[in-house]
Amino acid sequence: MLFALPLFPAVIGLLLWASGDGPRLRLGFWAVSAAAVTLLLAALAAVQNWVGGFVWAPGLDLRLALTPLSAVVAITVPAVAMPVLIFAAAHEEARGLARLLGLMLVFCGAMQLAVAADDLLSLLIGWEVMGFCSWALIGHHWRDAATPASGRYAFVTTRIGDLGLFLALMSTWTGAGGLDYAALGRLEGLPLAVAAFGVLAAAGAKAGQGPFAPWLFRAMDGPSSVSALLHAATMVAAGAYLLARLQPWFTLAPGWSGSVLALGLVTALAGGAVAVMQGHAKKLLAASTSAQMGLMFVAVGAGYPGVAVAHLVAHAAFKAPLFLSAGIAGNAAGSYRLHHMGYLRALPWVAGLTALSALALAAVPPLGAAWSKEQIVTAAMHESLWLGTAVMLAGLLSAAYAARFWWLAYGPGGATPEAEPHWCEILALGAMALACVGLGILWVSPVQDALPIRLPEALSLETVVSLALVAFGLLAGLTLARRENTAKLQAADWLGLPALIDGGIVRLFERFATLAARLDDVVLDAIPRGVAAGAHYVARGGRRAFGLMQADRGLLDAAVWQVAAATRALARLGESLGERLADGLPEGTARITGRSGADARRLQTGLSHHYYAIFTIGAALAILLLIIGSL
Amino acid sequence: MLTFAILLPFTAAAALAILPLPTGASRGIAIASSALALLSLIVVWTRFTPGGGFQSVQELPWIPALGVAWRVGVDGISLPLALMSGLLFVSAIAWPMEREVNARQYYAWFLFLEGAALGLFLTLDLLIFYVFFDLGLVGMYFLIGRWGHGDAQRSALKFFLYTLAGSLLILLAIIALVLITDPLTFDMRALIAIQPVAGMDVRAGLILLGFVLGFAIKTPLFPVHTWLPPAHVDAPGPASAILAGVLLKMGTYGLVRIPLQMMRETFATYALAIGIVALISILWGSIVAFAQENLKRRIAYTSVNHMGYAVLGIAVAGSALAGQEAARDLALTGAVVEMVAHGLITGALFLIAGAFWARTQEYELGRYGGLAGNAPRMMATMGLASFASLGLPGLAGFVAEVQIFIGAFAVWPWIAAIGLLGLIVTAALFLGMLQRIFFGDRPPALAGFADLSRVELGILAAILALVVLIGVWPAWLLDMIGAGAALAFGGV
Repeated sequence: MLFALPLFPAVIGLLLWASGDGPRLRLGFWAVSAAAVTLLLAALAAVQNWVGGFVWAPGLDLRLALTPLSAVVAITVPAVAMPVLIFAAAHEEARGLARLLGLMLVFCGAMQLAVAADDLLSLLIGWEVMGFCSWALIGHHWRDAATPASGRYAFVTTRIGDLGLFLALMSTWTGAGGLDYAALGRLEGLPLAVAAFGVLAAAGAKAGQGPFAPWLFRAMDGPSSVSALLHAATMVAAGAYLLARLQPWFTLAPGWSGSVLALGLVTALAGGAVAVMQGHAKKLLAASTSAQMGLMFVAVGAGYPGVAVAHLVAHAAFKAPLFLSAGIAGNAAGSYRLHHMGYLRALPWVAGLTALSALALAAVPPLGAAWSKEQIVTAAMHESLWLGTAVMLAGLLSAAYAARFWWLAYGPGGATPEAEPHWCEILALGAMALACVGLGILWVSPVQDALPIRLPEALSLETVVSLALVAFGLLAGLTLARRENTAKLQAADWLGLPALIDGGIVRLFERFATLAARLDDVVLDAIPRGVAAGAHYVARGGRRAFGLMQADRGLLDAAVWQVAAATRALARLGESLGERLADGLPEGTARITGRSGADARRLQTGLSHHYYAIFTIGAALAILLLIIGSL
Repeated sequence: MLTFAILLPFTAAAALAILPLPTGASRGIAIASSALALLSLIVVWTRFTPGGGFQSVQELPWIPALGVAWRVGVDGISLPLALMSGLLFVSAIAWPMEREVNARQYYAWFLFLEGAALGLFLTLDLLIFYVFFDLGLVGMYFLIGRWGHGDAQRSALKFFLYTLAGSLLILLAIIALVLITDPLTFDMRALIAIQPVAGMDVRAGLILLGFVLGFAIKTPLFPVHTWLPPAHVDAPGPASAILAGVLLKMGTYGLVRIPLQMMRETFATYALAIGIVALISILWGSIVAFAQENLKRRIAYTSVNHMGYAVLGIAVAGSALAGQEAARDLALTGAVVEMVAHGLITGALFLIAGAFWARTQEYELGRYGGLAGNAPRMMATMGLASFASLGLPGLAGFVAEVQIFIGAFAVWPWIAAIGLLGLIVTAALFLGMLQRIFFGDRPPALAGFADLSRVELGILAAILALVVLIGVWPAWLLDMIGAGAALAFGGV
């Protein structure tokens, strides 16, 4: 039954894609309705505790089940998808819209499969199908050669991480004899470590952590609505979700929690710094996503997966509208350069709604995102003082780049927009911004008590310090934005990481592959060419027959004869070659092994008569079958 | 029924060779008889009991003194391969000819090749196995040499001689293997039960070497794979599809049927070495494919990669006499699925490559671009086949690879872990291929590029529907294979 949750949006998405382009209203209606039904299904599944089972292969079952944590995410995905689809139907280019909306639904279906998965195989299936969707969606504008290349970059990068999931799967099967999550509990020692770190690699790749961060920049070549979906509800968010889901089993792996913490923290700080420097609206938000996912990683590493999921939901609520807003501003400015924007006067509504989302990103109370971020600070503080301080600094950076983003894009710059947004776009943006405000309910303590998650004990002093840092960050961001010079900072491109990967890995591999191909042609092919040179000499005798065949005089009567003659010639050739091989190979082998050499030679040479006899039978049979034609 | 499936194509081939029929009639006869052969195989399938050993067996004495007889029958390994081959032959025959010359002989040779291929998978007699193995070479030689393009004759000759050298080794090994039995028998079932070389000295190793090297050339494995790219490049599309889809499987099928099943003990001794060669093939095939600028060469090298997966699965299955049964079962099942999946997927890819050639006479990727607008059907079919080939879940290739990797990891974790890198390179090379053909700017010369015709689309849709079906719901195929029975057959 739970299979309906991933299958429904996926199937409707494929149908929508197949139906082809049409009026925006029709496409948008179907897409949004499908997302709405998916939302309903998710809610029903959560309330009624649906499960799913499917015998995929003997001994490999696909199982789906929802835990409280996964139910929350399963509801978040279609809830975010709905406004994003409304926006996409109104905002994106009409050509290819059916494909775009359809694939976004498939994307949601794949995400739901990964969310509801109760075994590693289902997870891997959803996980990789998401990779496919990201490839197709990032490369949506395929006429521009650069975008499909970015899609490929995204697919290949995240697939490198997926190898970790493959490793985890293989290790779990070997160590525990099954692939369901419960089997993870039976792992220990090395298999557990392989599974735990494999999953970390897969999650880190999807979530744009550490060395995997640059793919999120390349993914910005996709349409804005795709970015919104990718960062808020699917794919990227899947990384953080997966760690939160599997954390209970993996804390036992030595060094795992520490690694998750370290990876998350480094990315949170580096991503924050990159976002503060970025001059491209969407790339700024992309770096911010890496940083926010890093904060979720910190929560998981500190032992509070529930807090991570809470921040995931809050992040979905503010990141989706920010991307939608960046799309509107990008259309208005004709590019995503922040310095060409400034639409407070021209687009006051959009500016206001974006401000709400940006404040959520900055983690300003009483918005919900502020609460979840403070929980992460507290969780980190429980781990150690310096860790808590570092997370607060990451919070400061968030506030700074959020303020800077808003000021440059929607501040009083006075730019004149080239294009105005459709009211549907503003509606979608408004719905999401209201959700950011609505999540403020998380500050109410009865609500917190009702949450099915473990929360860290908060200290009031650290909250005060943290909020002070946020305020400072906001000020710093505004100051930066107002003094901004338009010089492009090299470090803004992920601190030079993409250049390093390009030169150190991609180029190097391409050169290696070219070398390998040449080796293949020159060296490996030399063995048969040596043999062929010998055979060539022998083959001269058979040339006449081949010459006839080449000429192909088209005489129907001659055709049968040609075939027969050629077959005979080939048989002769084969015999000659066979003689060389029959003599040469066994002798060589015998010499190398140095044992029973004489024995082997006697055995083999004694057999060559049989061989000739049987080969002749084979060749004769070929001719007979073709010419006489009956048995 | 099985005899019928083998002899019908041969008979039809002979009829086409003799009777002066017009092109249309030849084509009709060829399609009808290949479809009938497939139908008879499907009938056999409906009567098939998974895990029940060899079934639908038929035996007619031929040379009793040598223990040779016309023996046919299927088990869970040969039946899926025969069905896949039957389907691929119907597809390749129905696919429009690239150059409409000598159509009658063209179809005759295709049917001849089909008879040989089905005979190879269905026979239970080692000598007849060998005869069909060589007849397959003959059929393919003529298809490449006469209807190919470019330097077709040279490629065909290279293909023929190279693989013939392999088949000679196999013949020597067969004779050595059979001569040990007393009374003399070529019956595969008997040979599997007897395990003739069990407990033997170095001679057993030499016989194994003969088989493995011979089949490795056919499969092909690193470093004896270099006949494959030229043969593919110069072959007509449908012949390429058969070459990759069916003929390569003769190598891996032989590896399962003879060394793995008849020489269990010796195979187990050398399984690791075979596994390492398979690993090298996986990596080398994908890396070299990545650097190819020629569409067909690129697809051809991915065959080396995929057959590497299949051989890895086989090596794992034969890695031990006892212990790790579950993992070895999984690996062997995966290997058979890989053969079927690769047949369908790469068959489809080569048919599409043929469609490109028919339209532009060009395989260089650099000459293409931006065709997604002109040819959305081509984009859809080639995209689906490419993603299947790079192992996207929900498609057939993934089913095979995930099982092979899980099984391999349990036995040789390092080989499996390193082999995973192949997944990355194949992803990069297929996406790069799609990108260069279909996206970006369209060269002016391709303005009039025509999309797939209805016939072409129908054929590809049938093959790819099966790829999706196996990917989404593989249980029916895996039940049919029932690798456990194959491993246990002969009493291990």
